[in-house]
Amino acid sequence: MYTHDGEEIFVIDGHVHLWDATEENIKHEGGEQFIQCFHDYHTAFTPEEEQWDMDTYRKYGKERMMNDLFRDGYVDMGIFQPTYLTDFYDEGFNTTEQNAELAEEYPERFVLNGAFDPRDGEEGLEYLEELDETYDLQGVKLYTAEWRGDSKGWRLDSPEAFEYLEKCQELGIKNIHPHKGPTIRPLNRDAFDVADVDDAATSFPELNFVVEHVGFPRLDDFTHIAAQETNVYGGLAVAAPFAQNRPRKFADMMGELLFWVGEDNLLFGSDYALWEPDWLIPAVMNAEMSPEQRAEFGTELSTDIKKKIMGENAARLYDIDIEEKKAQFRDDAVSERYGLGENYEAAAD
Amino acid sequence: MATQNHPGAEDEGSGRAAERPEPSTGRPDRPDPSDDAPDLEDVYGRLDRVDDPELDRSIVELGYVERVAVDGGRVEVAFVLPTAWCSPAFAWMMATGIRDEVGSLPAVEAVRVDLRDHMHGEEINHGVNEGLAFDEAFDDADSGIEAVREKLDEKARLARQFHAFDALLDAGLTPAQVADLRLEDVDPAFEADRAAVPLREGAVTVTLPAEPLTDYLEKARATGLVSGEADRLFADRDGEPFDAEAFEEVRRQSRVADANVTGQGAICSALHEARNGVVADD
Repeated sequence: MYTHDGEEIFVIDGHVHLWDATEENIKHEGGEQFIQCFHDYHTAFTPEEEQWDMDTYRKYGKERMMNDLFRDGYVDMGIFQPTYLTDFYDEGFNTTEQNAELAEEYPERFVLNGAFDPRDGEEGLEYLEELDETYDLQGVKLYTAEWRGDSKGWRLDSPEAFEYLEKCQELGIKNIHPHKGPTIRPLNRDAFDVADVDDAATSFPELNFVVEHVGFPRLDDFTHIAAQETNVYGGLAVAAPFAQNRPRKFADMMGELLFWVGEDNLLFGSDYALWEPDWLIPAVMNAEMSPEQRAEFGTELSTDIKKKIMGENAARLYDIDIEEKKAQFRDDAVSERYGLGENYEAAAD
Repeated sequence: MATQNHPGAEDEGSGRAAERPEPSTGRPDRPDPSDDAPDLEDVYGRLDRVDDPELDRSIVELGYVERVAVDGGRVEVAFVLPTAWCSPAFAWMMATGIRDEVGSLPAVEAVRVDLRDHMHGEEINHGVNEGLAFDEAFDDADSGIEAVREKLDEKARLARQFHAFDALLDAGLTPAQVADLRLEDVDPAFEADRAAVPLREGAVTVTLPAEPLTDYLEKARATGLVSGEADRLFADRDGEPFDAEAFEEVRRQSRVADANVTGQGAICSALHEARNGVVADD
């Protein structure tokens, strides 16, 4: 829970990982470059006194994660978003199963998302069914730029992908989280398209598409699509740290997102352990727009809007009853462990 | 094989033979300023014309240029990008930009480009220094680089359009007047740093800072939107002209294009500082 302006805010961190990037787990140079890049993103935005060394960063483990989210981080619930990268890492970077280790220990506190890759054909569809049976999935994280043998990426609007989306619909996996990140592959114009999300969202109005880190560096294309499709959402990881380093730019970004995407379609995420909620959440919660920005975007970063972004929107997508959870958390295992019970005592209204 | 002692000696890449006599004294081995060696300042001047195509800013401004070595008519330029994963397509555009811009200096005989600390540095350096096409250098490139460049140019055009709109509105033009502007209607070089727009059939002339307008025109020409005098200056995100009613919509489209470019620029600059220790101008 985070207290802001006298209000109690329920926090669902929409994007967390429990990864293993130890040297033992790396099988391709890409894996080493990948974690180094992650660490650069980490140090680029994290206040100096909070930065982690490379060793810790490779594998921080369950205990560290629990402390960072629940003891120090104001987080009430977290959504695990797996990133497989099995071409780079032996066991995977953080697969559904790796994340499950922690998610299953505290099922009331974590949502565990799965993943799929349409290049896996029939086998992949079976794997998805198995995952759903084992973990009762409500969402999947997709990495369309992931390498797989000779293939350096796939599209969400391909016939193969559509088969998988149909399966998701069938299995009740409602939330699709495509990661649309900085462009590496493919090497042609297609890499710069988020149009595949557009097609998928139009064809599957019953599914929700949460474009992670709001499509940067294609924010403009993402906002164009999201403005037209009510089932397209934006995950704020990567945008959020700007609240700490570049508050004016953050307010600009939020202005654009609120204008085009809307206050009901944005989800906070720390992308832990890229960045840590203990400094990130206060930075986001304290963000404000200047009078000029308020005039330009016709809105402001009100507490109500922040409440939606920090938890209410994710709760709606994942069928989480916040009041019920608050009641439950008065004395669940995590609250007992960290003495958090009191935070949930406030009158439920 | 080129050695340290022989300026202008045979280069493994270009195969040029030595053209100058060896120094006969014991003095250090440096290009003689009276020779036809390019000026370092001239080289940087050319490098400043090379943009990061995604961030729409010069690689010099962004602090990507790590080292420039001039050896007679040969120039070597080493550059580094914010991450080892920066798009190979963008890196290629910058590398060829460096090669061609610096190579266009009269005193330059050969340019060697060295992209450092990059996942695809080898392919890019080899391809660019050997004059290969993009899809020759990369197995999985199914086409040339032009379509990518066009896409990025168009994004940059929209972003710059936002600033051009701002300057014109600030100067007192109405949305209708801005929407209708054609190339022949503006004088970008009216005075030092000022552009002029005659209105109401020349009854009134309004001036404004030239930079946002000339910056915009650069991209408007690069995308082929503006070429003839009668061409409309501005267009929406689909490249289409618009009327006064649609102006606000187009302004917002341009605004978010700018937010994308500057937002990504901020991410890249933070990474460049974190990974490479470079603090560039923001």
